[in-house]
Amino acid sequence: MAGARVPLDEQQVTEPDSQGRARTLPALHPDRKEDRCFVPYKTPPVECSPAGVEEFLEHARFITEDLEWLLSLPHDKFWCQVVFDESLQGCLDSYLRHAPRGLDLLALPSSPAVADVQRAIHRAIFLVFLRMATHKESKESFLTPAVFGEIIYNNFLFDVPKMMDLCVLFGKGNSQLLHKMIENVFTQQPAYYSDLDETVPTVLQVFDTILEKCGLQCEGSMEPKKLNAHKQPTALTMSQQDLVDIILYLCDSTTTIHAFLDIFPAACTSFHSHGFLSRLTVFYETAVSDLEKAVKKRNYDDKTLQEELWKRLSHSCRKMVETAHLLLHHACLQPLLEGRENMQAFAEELLQYFTSFLPEKRFLTDYDELFPISDDISLLQQALPIIDETRTSYLLQGVESARDSLGRWKSPIHKPAS
Amino acid sequence: MSPPRLTGALRSFSSVSKTDQPPEELYDLKAKRLKRQELFAKEGLTWQKIVRFCTELQDKGEQQATNQELKSLLMAAKNIVGSEHGQEAIESAAAFLFEMFHNKDHVGTEESRAIKQMFGPFPSSAAEASCACVTRLVAPLDDSRVEDFIRTQKSLHNPQQGSVFGRNIAFCYDCYTLDPLDDLQSSGVFDESEQLMNFLNNQQSG
Repeated sequence: MAGARVPLDEQQVTEPDSQGRARTLPALHPDRKEDRCFVPYKTPPVECSPAGVEEFLEHARFITEDLEWLLSLPHDKFWCQVVFDESLQGCLDSYLRHAPRGLDLLALPSSPAVADVQRAIHRAIFLVFLRMATHKESKESFLTPAVFGEIIYNNFLFDVPKMMDLCVLFGKGNSQLLHKMIENVFTQQPAYYSDLDETVPTVLQVFDTILEKCGLQCEGSMEPKKLNAHKQPTALTMSQQDLVDIILYLCDSTTTIHAFLDIFPAACTSFHSHGFLSRLTVFYETAVSDLEKAVKKRNYDDKTLQEELWKRLSHSCRKMVETAHLLLHHACLQPLLEGRENMQAFAEELLQYFTSFLPEKRFLTDYDELFPISDDISLLQQALPIIDETRTSYLLQGVESARDSLGRWKSPIHKPAS
Repeated sequence: MSPPRLTGALRSFSSVSKTDQPPEELYDLKAKRLKRQELFAKEGLTWQKIVRFCTELQDKGEQQATNQELKSLLMAAKNIVGSEHGQEAIESAAAFLFEMFHNKDHVGTEESRAIKQMFGPFPSSAAEASCACVTRLVAPLDDSRVEDFIRTQKSLHNPQQGSVFGRNIAFCYDCYTLDPLDDLQSSGVFDESEQLMNFLNNQQSG
């Protein structure tokens, strides 16, 4: 039908085959893919050897050239390429896995030429993912939303780790676009919510692994140890390289989780359903002091390493506290601010969370410094004047006492309104 | 090697990612160069067309000199791609060199980079020789005619390129940076003696 707007997944095209004979085939068909041979991304060289730089540059230029070619393809050819070209998926995936993050120990490219080409790849990769997350480019170029959802899911164009990588790599400064992308991916393919649900226990396992590596008992593994079991190294006694790895791992994990939840707050529900918040606070309380002591007390040949490790550990602390606040905000504070139905239940949940923080003195104190609990309680009192004063006073005294026990700076307690 | 990452663990230990990843070393630089040469050969600018274009409006005497230059260009191309390649690859390389040098009078950094990207390491004398040949080949021809010829040949075989997606999207290159709660010197981490002092002070004041 002339002028009809047909989704790409329903279009047919007539093209010459290899012998030049006309044939009709679906617009989305493997035979329409170009044999382009995308190369995988490799990290910039750490040392500035001319050969290493030259090899990186050559590699990187192939990638930018190919991605720019891909972005210039018309809608139908673009989708044939992303769905059927494994080398393209390998290239995109390798970038997400290996691209330097701003928090890596050696994050800065070593030469201006490397920095330039790295920036070009960075932008092109983002635009390719943006295009892959867009089911409707124009009135003429679009996919049926349900088919789009199937295509991206069945071909692993997106998966939860990839979306987390996207957030941590591009979230700073592109958060609105990223939010739209990820929201659209989850909306058109709700199976990603099940995947997310499946992923959270592995995220929790990462924290347990860190505790285990530091020789700290983790919650849920309360089995008595055999008397003749080998003594587990601690943060203080493990090798320096192990400590570096643990702190980098913690820094990356906390930053990634925070970036993902910040950009896509709907994911907070899955994290909540796995009791993430209480596990995070227990982890904080158990691990942070030990790791801090280890960073401070060990002997370093290179003092800048100690400074770098400290910064990353302290940054991780901030990210864990901010993540806890994000989760609380999403679960309790936002519904209260929006005046949703059943406000009493949200207030009760918030108070319960705060009460559960009381034994975690270090976490509570750091949380309160960044997000004063008295402010949230004051907000509660405004939203629900009937809130139990004895309970809120007890909570605020608990915060004060936690601070005292750590010898931290004392702030005046916000007295509950009488 | 990349540092340990959360998403690396998620890829390995949760079942939400593709398991059969293609090996990353599948396409090395050599294979990629060959593919690029192959793609260039399909782009439309062929050696035969260049020969015809350079000789079509010339009398017999001029043609002889032009043929000599074309032969020299092929020889330079052979030195660049390597003698193990067949005539087709050499002609394709010569077409590439003609396209690149048709409006240049010397081998600059960009040209060297482009040749290396296409064919790998090459003798610089061959690049100089090919540039000189092309300069002599196009010298008697009108500049705009040469440009038109190259543009037409390429666009004939590349009709499907559209406008670049995302050209107008404002992209921010910022990345997350460290935002520590406190620095090492002013950190509130006490060693045991400090904790003991704190405990004693609390006892006294209590």
